[in-house]
Amino acid sequence: MNLDEYRVVFVAGSLVLILIAAAPTLGLIVPFPSGSERFSEFWVLGPGHMAEGYPFNVVVNGSYSVFVGVGNHLGVSAYYLVCVKFRNQSEPLPNATVSEPSPLPSLYEYRAFVVDGGVWEAPLTFSVLKASRNDDSMFVDRLFINDVVFVVNSSARWDSEYKGFYFQLFLELWLYDTALQKFQYHNRFVGIWLNMTA
Amino acid sequence: MFFKSLFFVGIVLLCVFVSVGFAETGEDAVVSALAGAEASVVSAYQGVLEAERAGANVSVLLVRLNEAGGFLSQARMAYKAGDFDGAVDFAELGRGIGEEVAGEARVLRDLATIERVQLLWFTAAASVLAVAWIAFGSFMCWRFFKRRYYRRVLGLKPEVATPDES
Repeated sequence: MNLDEYRVVFVAGSLVLILIAAAPTLGLIVPFPSGSERFSEFWVLGPGHMAEGYPFNVVVNGSYSVFVGVGNHLGVSAYYLVCVKFRNQSEPLPNATVSEPSPLPSLYEYRAFVVDGGVWEAPLTFSVLKASRNDDSMFVDRLFINDVVFVVNSSARWDSEYKGFYFQLFLELWLYDTALQKFQYHNRFVGIWLNMTA
Repeated sequence: MFFKSLFFVGIVLLCVFVSVGFAETGEDAVVSALAGAEASVVSAYQGVLEAERAGANVSVLLVRLNEAGGFLSQARMAYKAGDFDGAVDFAELGRGIGEEVAGEARVLRDLATIERVQLLWFTAAASVLAVAWIAFGSFMCWRFFKRRYYRRVLGLKPEVATPDES
C-alpha cells in the first residue's frame, strides 16, 4: 500500500468514528422510522380468560359473560370505540373488503385509551331478558348488557342444518382519527354465536 | 261561564306548551352536554398525544382518560335510553376528567419538552467534543504514521537482484 491508500483508510476510519460519536445527537434530531408493523389486536375470550368456554346455548334470564380486549401496536397511544351489536343470521356483518361497519345499530359501547404496546380488557356480561317462540322462529325482544337494557326486536328462523335459532353478538372496533376528528371503523370485528334454546 | 271555560282551556294549553318547551330544552341540554364532554375528552386525548410526542410518560393520564371514556359511554347509553338526567350527570363527569387531563397533559408536555431540550444540548455538546477529539486524534495519528512511513521508506536500501537469484 502506498501513502495515498493509507490516507483513504485513515479518512474512512475517522469518518466512521465521527458518525458513531454523532449518532446520539442524530438520534434525537432525525426521526428514524420503526421497522415494526402497525396494527391493533381485537379479541373476545371466554369467562375463564381463555379462548374456550364461550357461551353458546342461551336461555332467557341466563347470565353469560365474556371478556373483550384490544391491543395497541400503532406506535402511539390510541383512542378506541368498541360497538356491541346483535344480529340474526340474515342481517349484515361488517364488510371487511370495503372496510364498512355493519349498518345495524350499536347497543352497548366501550371507549378505551390504550398506550402503545399496551392492552385493554373489559368484561361483557349479557342475558336475554325477553324472548318468544312462534313455530319455526324465535323472537328476541330485550337484551341486558352490562346492567343496561336494550330493545333489540330481532327474530331468527329455525336453522334445520345446524338445528337451532341462531343469533350473533358481535363487536366492532373503531379508531379515533385525529386528522378527521372522528371515529373511523378499524376493519376489525369479533363475535360469538348464540343458540337461543328457550 | 264561557269566559271561565276559555280561561281554563287557555291555562291548560299554556301548561302543555311550557312543558313541551321544557322537555325540548332538556333534550337540547343533554345533546349539548354530550357534545361538550366529547370535545373535552378528545381535546384531552390530543393533549396526551402531544405530551407523548414530547417524550412524556402518559400512562397515568390514559388511565384517567379511560375513566372519562367510561362516563362518556354511559352518558350516551343513558341518552339513548331516555334517561336525560343520568346522561347529563355522566357527561359532566366525563367532561370534568377530560379538562383535568388536558391541563395535566400540558404540564407534562412542557416538562418533557424542557427535559428533551436539555438532553439535546448535553448530547450535542458531548458529540461535538467527541467529534473534535476524534478529528484531532486522527490528524495526530496520521502525522505520526506519515512520519514513520517516510522514515521507513527513506531507510530502505536499494538491492539489485540478478536474474540468477530470481
